Amino acid sequence: MRRIKSFRSLALLLAICMIMALFAGCAKKANPLTIWVGVESVDFYTAKMAEYVENYKAKTGEDFPYEIAVQGVDTGSAASKVLDDIDAGADIFTIAHDNLPKLTAGASAIAPVRSQALLTQIKSDNPQAFLDVIDMNVQGTTYTFGIPYIAQSLILMYNTKYLTKDDVKTWEGIWAAAKKHNMQSVSLTGSDGFNNSFLVLAKNETTNRMPTVLYEDGITENCNFTSDEVVAIMQWGQRFFTGANGAKMPTDSGWEIELRDEISLGVITGAWKFNAAKAALGANLGIATLPSFTLTSEDVKGTNVKAGTVYRSGTFADCKVFVMKKGSDKADYLEDILLFLTSKEVQEQSFIECANLPAYKNAAKEFASMQTDNLETELAARQLDMFDYGIPQPFGTPTSQFYYYSKGAPDLIREILENKDGLFGTTEAIRTQLQKVENIWKTGERE
Amino acid sequence: MDRKKYGISGFFQRIAQPFINFYKRFMDGSIGTKMSHFIMGAGNIYHGQIIKGLIYFLIQVGYVVFMVTCPKVNNTPLGYKAFINFVTLGTQEGDIFTPADNSMLMLLFGVVTFGITLMYLFAYNSSIKSSYKADKDLKNYGKVTTFRHDLKEMFGNRFYIAMLTPATLGAVVFTLLPTLFMILIAFTNFDKERQAGLKLFDWVGLDNFTTFFTNPSGEIAARFLPVLGWTLIWAFFATFLNYYGGILLALLINKKGLKGKVIFRAIFVLTIAIPQFISLLAMRNLIGEYGPLQSFLIKVGIMSEPMSFLANAPNVWIARITIILINLWVGIPYSMLLASGAIMNIPESLYEAARIDGASKFTILRKITMPYIVFITTPYLISSFIGNITSFNIIYLLTGGMPKVTGGYIAGGTDLLVTWLYKLTIDEQQYNLGAVIGILTFLLTSTVTLITYRRSKSYKEEDAFQ
Repeated sequence: MRRIKSFRSLALLLAICMIMALFAGCAKKANPLTIWVGVESVDFYTAKMAEYVENYKAKTGEDFPYEIAVQGVDTGSAASKVLDDIDAGADIFTIAHDNLPKLTAGASAIAPVRSQALLTQIKSDNPQAFLDVIDMNVQGTTYTFGIPYIAQSLILMYNTKYLTKDDVKTWEGIWAAAKKHNMQSVSLTGSDGFNNSFLVLAKNETTNRMPTVLYEDGITENCNFTSDEVVAIMQWGQRFFTGANGAKMPTDSGWEIELRDEISLGVITGAWKFNAAKAALGANLGIATLPSFTLTSEDVKGTNVKAGTVYRSGTFADCKVFVMKKGSDKADYLEDILLFLTSKEVQEQSFIECANLPAYKNAAKEFASMQTDNLETELAARQLDMFDYGIPQPFGTPTSQFYYYSKGAPDLIREILENKDGLFGTTEAIRTQLQKVENIWKTGERE
Repeated sequence: MDRKKYGISGFFQRIAQPFINFYKRFMDGSIGTKMSHFIMGAGNIYHGQIIKGLIYFLIQVGYVVFMVTCPKVNNTPLGYKAFINFVTLGTQEGDIFTPADNSMLMLLFGVVTFGITLMYLFAYNSSIKSSYKADKDLKNYGKVTTFRHDLKEMFGNRFYIAMLTPATLGAVVFTLLPTLFMILIAFTNFDKERQAGLKLFDWVGLDNFTTFFTNPSGEIAARFLPVLGWTLIWAFFATFLNYYGGILLALLINKKGLKGKVIFRAIFVLTIAIPQFISLLAMRNLIGEYGPLQSFLIKVGIMSEPMSFLANAPNVWIARITIILINLWVGIPYSMLLASGAIMNIPESLYEAARIDGASKFTILRKITMPYIVFITTPYLISSFIGNITSFNIIYLLTGGMPKVTGGYIAGGTDLLVTWLYKLTIDEQQYNLGAVIGILTFLLTSTVTLITYRRSKSYKEEDAFQ
């Protein structure tokens, strides 16, 4: 009987503990001003915010009224996190600029910039390409929502043991070296729209024009992916991906192993894979802008494009932006913080300490840290070079760029490039497939 | 057995009974019990059960205050307004400076308020019953029970109720309400075009289901059957190959006269000790195009060039078969351990009797060992089948649902219903269609569980092997 009683007392105690824990969990928490940044930059921005708080006290003579919490997030999923629970989002958070449309759809989840000082800094510090993609139209009025502070584009990381600086100027040079060493010319890290943008966004070197038209002027219908030039580029890509020692679609083993085991000569990727590439190639890592390629008579057959036309590989040249949560109870303080965090001084320190490529338009010329001769500087410089051959990922309607993925547009392009069973051996077959991609861009549907 | 409880009339009788009791208590009860119908705890206070009466009264006051004041969480009200919002799912469209009504929170809070109201009604009924019981006690014994006596009773004879109450409340709050919420989303147009807090979404009745089933050319509907088909194939092979593989291994390891049984068992248990994701990722690298296995096979001339067996496999069936085979590596040790436990518990006397009767080894296996193992492990088999239908790790880590298939609409060739559901909701924000798939998966798993378990000997002959 006594045993049963003690068992009951224990059960009761556990139940009480559980209920207490529940209440403790639901208790009101402290309410700091929260900033979400990329995981790799948490320490840097924590230090910067400590500096900001000191400056605030020196300037106003008062303590900053809130605790500040800088937290690391995956910048790719920050927007989705906010949309899952708007009120749980940080007061300031970082996103890739192409997430702006979904955050500003309907009544918008983020607040527009209203501070004149911040608007002036945004306009004076950023390249026009970025300014074009940070303004959004909400219910008939255009506002500025994003404050750019990091840029990124695709580049080539290659093995200097086999490739010279001259080789990497053209895909043909790389291909010839690959044949010589019986290796693959280049690996891809994935087969999505970002990875195939080196072909989709290729630019004619003579006309300096991109044959692919993608949401030009932000108009959903302004898309063209079926021109002769695009067909010819796809035929070149087909040859490059199906030919011996050409380019390699992603494998189960992964591009790091392909690079490390000297199966591929290089990889098309961005700065976020820099450390992995360095681990794979060590001292043999070289960095270059994406090469150009020349169409042969085989590539131009069935089109009105001339053999010998040279194209430079393109890229989505994107930026990361800070945005502010709409309805934040600390709204009065956010714009001043952003004025500081996106200033060119902080951007340069971010480059030095975290290897973040600044969004600041004259960084390559003005930043002393970018004049040194090391791999990190090379990485930044080559990315900046690629901005001449790229465009920030554009969008039509708030959701049109998502259809690009969910309706499988990158897969349609991959099918052309792989040309399995010769299904895309004619210009008609290629054009029909490209038309489906264009339809997806315009309407969200293939047909 | 009370036959009246069965059949249609029994069904209606069961529904009507609480109302009849309610009416009866009102008519037969004392003035205090009658008052309890309007003011909770009044009957208890009338009978001198002050503390109990006050507790009931406070519950009523709390509920009324909650319903009338409509406390706000994240700018969305609970209370009576939650019921109104549950119907409308919001009316304020919002603009750049004012937030739109959060339809998702309104739906959620409607469900929560509904749950709180149900609990309140339960307490309300309990208050009336308590007062009515006091009436009876007074009539029969001339006195009512004291609060101390009730407490003693609660932690004595009715201790199980005291302990089950928090657990039941937990199940309602953390399982039942979210499930109800998920089911309700299937009847709305909540998707990426109508993100919560940005744009209102609304009730659409059965539209999501009709789109799913009546538009076979629709992308999601067209993909559903192939994904369902592969899910069932996967669950069947992943379950039964592991199960019989485990039994076979257990029989071999437990074979009489085998030396080093403990070592063999430990070796296989090691795969359980190593976190599953590490085993899976190691296996993926091992069989990758440039992994050690293919390098070896190419070196000895069995393969001429590297090929993908997983996410980039040239044929979807290559990836599917590879996954099933890899799953053997992580799955067999579990069933081996269970079967070993069962084998070691088979009474030796059964074997002896069989041998004396001249039974062959195969007959002993067929008539004694296997029935015993199957009887013991049937619940495991069923839960394993259900677990495999909703298996996420293996697919996600090995192939991520790939390789691509024509007209895949997010779903790749090795995607199961659950990984497809993940992509639809997390990557594509198609919450409404995700909820439809969630409901269908639930129906599938619950039906399979119910049918198989109720037909199993473990259920029918529960006491047979004791």
